[in-house]
Amino acid sequence: MMTLIVRRLIQLPLILIAIYTITFSLAWLLPGNPLQNPEGRKPPPEVIEEMKRQYDLDSPWRFYVGYATKATGAAWVWDRFCGDEEAKPTLAERTDAHRQPIFYFGPSLVYKDWSVNEIIASSLPISVALGVTAILIALLIGLTAGIIGALRPGSLADLATLSVALVGVSLPTFVIGTILLMVFAVWLHIAPIGGWGTLRSVILPAVTLSLPFAAYIARLTRLGMIEALGENFIRTARAKGLPEHRVVLKHALKVALLPVLSYLGPAMAFAMTGSFVVERVFAVPGIGQHFVNGVLNKDLTLIMGIVLVYATMLIVFNLIVDVLYRWVDPRIELTGG
Amino acid sequence: MRVKLLAPIAVLLCVLAVFIATDPPQEPADFTFVDRGSIQSLDPQRMTYTQDLRIGSCLYEGLLRIDNFDPQWKVIPAVATEWEVSNDGLTYTFRLRDNAKWSNGEPVTAHDFAYSWMRALLPDTAADYTDLFQLIAGGSEFFQWRRDALRSFAASDRTGQPGEAMRLWEETQQWFNEHVGVQPVDDHTLVVTLKARTPYFLELCAFTPFYPVYRPLVDQYVTIDSRTGRLNQQHGWTKPPHHVGNGPFVLKTWRFKRDMRLEVNPHYWDKGSLNVRSIATVEIDDPNTAVLAFQTGAVDWLSSVGVDYKADMIAAKQRFYDEHRAEVDRLRAEGKQWIEIDQLLPPDPRKDIHAFPAFGTYFYNFNCGEHLPDGRLNPFHDARVRRAFALAVDKRRIVEGVTRMREPVARTFIPPGSLGGYASPDGLGCDPAAALALLAEAGWRRQGGTGPLASEAGERFIVVEILYNTDGTHEDIAVDIKNQWEAALGVQVELRGKEVKVYGDDLDNHNFMIGRGSWYGDYGDPTTFLDKFRTGNGNNDAAFSNPAFDALMDRAGDERDPQRRMDLLSEAERMVMEEQLPILPLFHYIEPYMFRADHVTGITDHPRQVHLLYRIDILGDGIGRDEPLGSALR
Repeated sequence: MMTLIVRRLIQLPLILIAIYTITFSLAWLLPGNPLQNPEGRKPPPEVIEEMKRQYDLDSPWRFYVGYATKATGAAWVWDRFCGDEEAKPTLAERTDAHRQPIFYFGPSLVYKDWSVNEIIASSLPISVALGVTAILIALLIGLTAGIIGALRPGSLADLATLSVALVGVSLPTFVIGTILLMVFAVWLHIAPIGGWGTLRSVILPAVTLSLPFAAYIARLTRLGMIEALGENFIRTARAKGLPEHRVVLKHALKVALLPVLSYLGPAMAFAMTGSFVVERVFAVPGIGQHFVNGVLNKDLTLIMGIVLVYATMLIVFNLIVDVLYRWVDPRIELTGG
Repeated sequence: MRVKLLAPIAVLLCVLAVFIATDPPQEPADFTFVDRGSIQSLDPQRMTYTQDLRIGSCLYEGLLRIDNFDPQWKVIPAVATEWEVSNDGLTYTFRLRDNAKWSNGEPVTAHDFAYSWMRALLPDTAADYTDLFQLIAGGSEFFQWRRDALRSFAASDRTGQPGEAMRLWEETQQWFNEHVGVQPVDDHTLVVTLKARTPYFLELCAFTPFYPVYRPLVDQYVTIDSRTGRLNQQHGWTKPPHHVGNGPFVLKTWRFKRDMRLEVNPHYWDKGSLNVRSIATVEIDDPNTAVLAFQTGAVDWLSSVGVDYKADMIAAKQRFYDEHRAEVDRLRAEGKQWIEIDQLLPPDPRKDIHAFPAFGTYFYNFNCGEHLPDGRLNPFHDARVRRAFALAVDKRRIVEGVTRMREPVARTFIPPGSLGGYASPDGLGCDPAAALALLAEAGWRRQGGTGPLASEAGERFIVVEILYNTDGTHEDIAVDIKNQWEAALGVQVELRGKEVKVYGDDLDNHNFMIGRGSWYGDYGDPTTFLDKFRTGNGNNDAAFSNPAFDALMDRAGDERDPQRRMDLLSEAERMVMEEQLPILPLFHYIEPYMFRADHVTGITDHPRQVHLLYRIDILGDGIGRDEPLGSALR
């Protein structure tokens, strides 16, 4: 197991460099100048030139290297141990509060007062909380609907849950979101119109985000359940005279849950990356919007920062999951891979 | 098994609940609004976007300010109590008030202005509005001097030496003090010398980028790169609790892309005049959610209505007026303006949308260059062809049938009536017959009278291409204009819809035949529009160049008599709008807002659309004057 961890940790920076390089090349090739409003008034050319110089936008190579050294913490280490503070005279006494963080992704090129670190730190936890809540709701709805459907396949209840699931998968989230807003916020006044920070404000976006997942989970559970209920061990359990709810919830569900569990991994990752649409409709200040807006604005530092953070998170999560698998079930052989 | 499964879920739920509950929404403020976009910067010298400038005018205060309910857009005292202009119009002497304070209680001095204006002129800052500061004597020379000094520093053996970099900065400040026309005579007197007569300079002093920043704070965030000698400016200081300003309000909270809260600055000299104690903004990107937020009463003002059904909302308001026709007519006869009529009519959700005129114009650029980007001869190089294409468009069809917003149809570039003392020329109307006559003069006739447009030799007119960005209604407008030109002139038109950044690049590089454009004026003078057509101007996307026009603009610049100057500028606009047509103006913008006119006052209907939040008053809340402000349109 140690070799696995060590090998993965060695791979991590290599993968990140590859991701960084590819993202940078693509982002650099995007048309336009992030420092400028394409429809607005243009400053004189010599000012545009100086603006670009300020953010290293006049040279792809300088940007690439400069950003990489700051983002990896190399620049921080260098300043700390090799460089001297004298090399960067300040105009006034500085307090420690203004120092740069170890892994510094630079200022956003569009929201110039904010560093990418601040943007990620303020929005990522919100998206994670929303995503986790949505998955929990999806499990609750999906499992219940799946079990009800599986108990009497073809019945009215089954048909009803199936059609709700179909709607959940096929209706776009902005439609569901807007309908929920109209009903619960505008007509019933029991939810705020948007925003973040109270439990009430989380419910509508979380439900909206959860519906496609819930629909999928319901289908997985129903199929798994129907299959499990036909198995011999269920007949044995029933023959033993176990009450039906124990047969279903204890014996059959255990088996039916397996496909759901393996679906939860990618679902979790997907839910936590933040949903642009849900965040927009409910005015949730999550990270999903920055993925889209970053690219639309050609906000290079923001794009790179988010991609690097997410790539690292995914790699580390994968490693943890692999290790957990191994720990839970020693039969699974893990070779580096 | 059930306990094993439920326990982690229960723990997770508790963690989530605690996490969410410890990140509360902001407490309600006296006045809450949705701004038109995310704030990009609260550093006044680097602001360009409306929303930044709007908050900036609350957090900082300039030498002067504007009365935005005055039809003439009068400048009134702010930090400066009085000012004098020399006879040649070049030297301005401002006397600063003694009781102007920063939000930490320190006095605001003339040196603060000198420092801030120097920042705006530094290539290290590269401010969007650098060119406005370059109107000051020595301004552009200072920019160039510093830029060249930085280049030679980086190339010399001084590079890499912190002491030398610091010395360069000191030399720079000295150069500024000696050569640039911004002289703090003492703490309360500022003398500004301009390069040339600039009748709108006082108004610029009321423009947010000219507002001061607090040097002891800002300097803490500046390091000098000893390799290049440049100032490296960080912006942590614009956020609470660090932020220090001298405006009516102070910044209490600012959460990125989420919300912001302003409270009255306890040290503000005129805080008695404020009618709200706190202002909050919430960010709602989705236009529909924003309208819902207004309808549920969560926000008092929607400063931009972006929903697809805004035209229907405006039509509904028209129906509301129709239902109260007698009352409306009576109030109109009394000379009341629409905003006042809205305050007096009975409450109705339909009347909460307000479409105010804006200081901007939607137009099409003609590429005026001799050759097209692909090297072919450009028929639009001929002013007669441009005029003909302009005459062939029925603009009413666009505002009534395409945008459906009933914007004022534009015959000129500058929205008529938006500038006091300026008489707009007539411009061109729609006259397809005259258009064909003009084309015939230029050697292009419709074959057989109704056939395709071609030269005497039978060569067809070039396939006309319209460049536009694909967001919003631009495509619909382009389609309509294509149909109009094809029907009226017998030309073939192709649409070139592009993503906004690509479109912007193409426009920049004159890589188009006909390209959509829009323009908003920055200050209250015709030059803010007309300078765009000067030869070589960076915003002259049409690549228009006409010596007679340039000469007229120069003459206006030298003219000392204000009215004669305005007449010359009017003549210049007549030249471009009736003869030369580098652009085809389509309509003047209107801006739809949502607010209850009997609940909020202080939102101006002046076409310049600068909303000074320190004038906002919630009617009937018992704070401030509680009297509705009237209309700027008289």
